[in-house]
Amino acid sequence: MLMGDVEPRPLRLGKKQFPPEQLLVMAIVNRTPDSFYRPGDTWDTGAALDRVHAAVAEGADILDVGGVPAKPGPEVTVAEEIRRVVPLVAAVRAAYPELVISVDTWRREPARAVCEAGADLLNDTWSAWDPLLANVAAEFDAGLVCSHVGTLTPRTRPFRPYFTDVMADVADRVLGLAERAVKAGVDPARIVIDPAHDFGKNTWHSLELTRRLGELTATGWPVLLSASRKDFVGETLGVPVEDRLAGTLAVTTVGAWLGVRIFRAHDVKATRQALDMVAAIRGDLPPARAVRGLA
Amino acid sequence: MIVAAALCPSPPLLATKLTGRADILPDLRTACTAATRHLLAATPDVIAVVGAAQETATWNPDGRLDLSAYAPLAGGHGKPGLPLALGIGALLLDEAGYAGPRILHAIDESASPADCLRLGRDLAAAAPRVALLAVGDGSTRRGPAAPGYLDERAIPFDDAVQQAVRVGDMVALGGLDPDLARDLMATGRAAWQVLAGAFTGARPATEITYAADPFGVAYLVATLT
Repeated sequence: MLMGDVEPRPLRLGKKQFPPEQLLVMAIVNRTPDSFYRPGDTWDTGAALDRVHAAVAEGADILDVGGVPAKPGPEVTVAEEIRRVVPLVAAVRAAYPELVISVDTWRREPARAVCEAGADLLNDTWSAWDPLLANVAAEFDAGLVCSHVGTLTPRTRPFRPYFTDVMADVADRVLGLAERAVKAGVDPARIVIDPAHDFGKNTWHSLELTRRLGELTATGWPVLLSASRKDFVGETLGVPVEDRLAGTLAVTTVGAWLGVRIFRAHDVKATRQALDMVAAIRGDLPPARAVRGLA
Repeated sequence: MIVAAALCPSPPLLATKLTGRADILPDLRTACTAATRHLLAATPDVIAVVGAAQETATWNPDGRLDLSAYAPLAGGHGKPGLPLALGIGALLLDEAGYAGPRILHAIDESASPADCLRLGRDLAAAAPRVALLAVGDGSTRRGPAAPGYLDERAIPFDDAVQQAVRVGDMVALGGLDPDLARDLMATGRAAWQVLAGAFTGARPATEITYAADPFGVAYLVATLT
């Protein structure tokens, strides 16, 4: 254990407060032409909004809108990122006043623009590459995801990363960022930590982090698990991206069992079902209907 | 003497904590609650609950159904749990808001009709005004999807019980064949015969408020006066 077990912290996102036992699905909505899974699927604004409606209907608690893919590729300028993301955030906010909207960004200018458009959470996947992102979150009373990427700069791939103890490195980084965010004025109840599977890690590292997620959840900070269809699932099972749902759900289930509270997912319905099943096993959610053997 | 009586079935699913987020058979629960209120309306000195169990015995009136036996996380109450039929009866009394004296009396599920009738007469004599709640179910073998699968004798058996209750024919109830009832997994037989004993020599007015087998078990709710 990195530190003694502490009570789960409260989690406030947007207008909502989420109890520790509630398992949240964060649905991925990419406004990109070139993301790794189903590239360009929701590039069109109409398609992106359709995806939002479907995700909400399937049980998403949070949307995570992204305008820049994680992988290397053609430059996406700040202006272009804003052009891609802000109208969608505004449209979603208008359609769903209460829905938690997260935006996957690492730069302060798009961050500020999406907060002005109604975003509730800044998903800083690139681990405070822009040190002022936390200040934007503080200014708008938005939430902040504090993540770990090792030594990477945005939109680069890991090259031979190594750690004496990957979980210690992750915990050191994300807890440090969380402290920094609090000092910058971010509401502590709006801070989430994310080990960031695959980011600056090889498959062994991501498997180790999955196995030891309990050490992160024991810190009390709400943990975000972002594993959906990622390469470590693909390498582990030897399957291409379109065939990684079962592996993703296994990671999801293990994470939920170990206390993770937020699950970033492409497959909302399947993730919702897996999490509801875990919640029922834990005794936090009664079955939808129990009649077998009780008639 | 008996001033009112009711028949109710004993599926665990009558306990809403056991059925999850769905509202299962609300019409059955409504009928059971109304039948229990029928007992309260007669202002009895005591309400006797009778139901089949492994042996004939009286149970502590403070006893309740141990829901954790059916759903381990549902939580127990720290006391020895009642047999199912008595537990459901106690639950129905609680839900009807009854806080008065109660007798919880189990009858051996294989007790002879004569023993059942005798217990019924004894319970009727327990106080000047006794209300009786007889808790038990009809056949469990009413179709291929039923818990006890299909037995062709099930539907005629349940029809005969229903007809006897409909016309207040306590002699017919008292004459139910224990062996056939056991074959059909009709756990209500002994309790119904206790009821028949309580009404010995009488032909009560009756009303059947629920008779159906939504899950392959015959549920019968009725009031008798």
